[in-house]
Amino acid sequence: MTANAPASKAAAEIAAWMNALGHDVDEFAARTAGLWADRPRPFGLTPGDITKLESQAGEFLAAHEFVVGAGVIFSTEAIKGNDGGLEWWIRRQESIEKLEFDLTPGGERFYDYQNMPFFAAASRTGQQTAWGPYVDYLGLDEYILTYSAPIQLAGRFAGVAGCDIRIRTLEEIFMPVLRAIPGDAALINGSGRVVVGNSGAYLVGERIRSTPAGSEVTPVDVPHLGFSLLSPC
Amino acid sequence: MAPTTVFQAHVYRSLPETERSEAIVNRISKAISLGLLKVGERLPPETALSEMFGVAPSTLREALSDLRRQGIVATRRGRSGGTFIVKQPFTSEEAMRKWFRETSIAEIRDVGDEHAAIAASTVRLACERAEPHEVGRLLELARGLALSDKPETRARADSRFHIELAVLAQSPRLTNAEIRLQAEIVQALWAPLPSTRDPEQVAAEHLALARAIADDASEDAQRLMLQHIRHDIHHLVDTKLSLGYPTYQQERQ
Repeated sequence: MTANAPASKAAAEIAAWMNALGHDVDEFAARTAGLWADRPRPFGLTPGDITKLESQAGEFLAAHEFVVGAGVIFSTEAIKGNDGGLEWWIRRQESIEKLEFDLTPGGERFYDYQNMPFFAAASRTGQQTAWGPYVDYLGLDEYILTYSAPIQLAGRFAGVAGCDIRIRTLEEIFMPVLRAIPGDAALINGSGRVVVGNSGAYLVGERIRSTPAGSEVTPVDVPHLGFSLLSPC
Repeated sequence: MAPTTVFQAHVYRSLPETERSEAIVNRISKAISLGLLKVGERLPPETALSEMFGVAPSTLREALSDLRRQGIVATRRGRSGGTFIVKQPFTSEEAMRKWFRETSIAEIRDVGDEHAAIAASTVRLACERAEPHEVGRLLELARGLALSDKPETRARADSRFHIELAVLAQSPRLTNAEIRLQAEIVQALWAPLPSTRDPEQVAAEHLALARAIADDASEDAQRLMLQHIRHDIHHLVDTKLSLGYPTYQQERQ
């Protein structure tokens, strides 16, 4: 790895940024879990709960300028009947606004959140996930990346807390780090998709199915998320 | 700015109240079918709405009650009350006949040309960019059409499949283009008129497309897509002609 000092340095910087965010998302999940700590399952979502959640999401958005949306998604087993389950807020000019989703299976614009990868993976593994870039059709309707961390109540999975970052914002954040690498390089997600590339050679959203000749892959040291850096050897 | 010509003055003349109410209904319906307003969303309060539209409160109430009658919005009382969008509008049979009457074959072909251009690129990118587990979802959506039994649900299943291809292509712009094109043609494709598109056949075409994507067969997928859209266009033209083609003689009466 010493042969590729610029890539190692970039990977370390990206890892530091992501680990800091990961820490905050974990903390966000733990704080939201605190709201229901003493209630038996399945619990109901009261208007008071939603107000507290809103202020927690608002705090998270205020503390992270680059985040566009934040909130929680409850597992259907954890909450009572039709109490919702997708409580998500997005940044507006000077306030935050609750996103409305169609949560009726078979509904016109049904947002099948229990099957969204960032929910399903956190539920399956009990670990943090990052999903994207993806077009969040029926949700935010933007090109984003979603971070999520499981909410554990009495040691059981109850849902996820997470946040959305626009791909264009990630591009601005990571470009200086990637531009410091000589030659074509890109940040790649866990399924081999380009998140940000430092040139036209690797475009966001494209899949890298095998490491191109003359390139190598440096893992980005962030637990569970599977990001890596593709750069010239 | 004052209108400069007689024609402009005619275009920009103030609207009668009935037309205004209809215009509000049309604008809200169109916004929903284009996805600008979503099911579940709450409309602004009536006072704010009538101010924004620049109409009398009675005109606005008329428009809302029309939308309620069509089942597009519902008004709920109480603290978390308001007027909500509950359903995507599906155009009436009469409106669909009017669409077929007023849309020329040249225009139908042209929509097909644009759709073909967009969808062929979309499906190629979807082949390159979709992950294996995402294809499962696409297959499920493809099957959705065979399971639907009403014009509305068929139209929705059809457009949902096409929009998902653009989502798999990872392109917000192609997604928007597909949403716009679907809003233009999907209701006509599934309109409850004498000749209807065969859902089994369309489902089979969608499944073949999904399989081509699963197999990474980009050339096949593009060919299948162009064929699929050609079938759509043939169907629309046939439907138009089956509804009768007015002669000049009839037009003049």
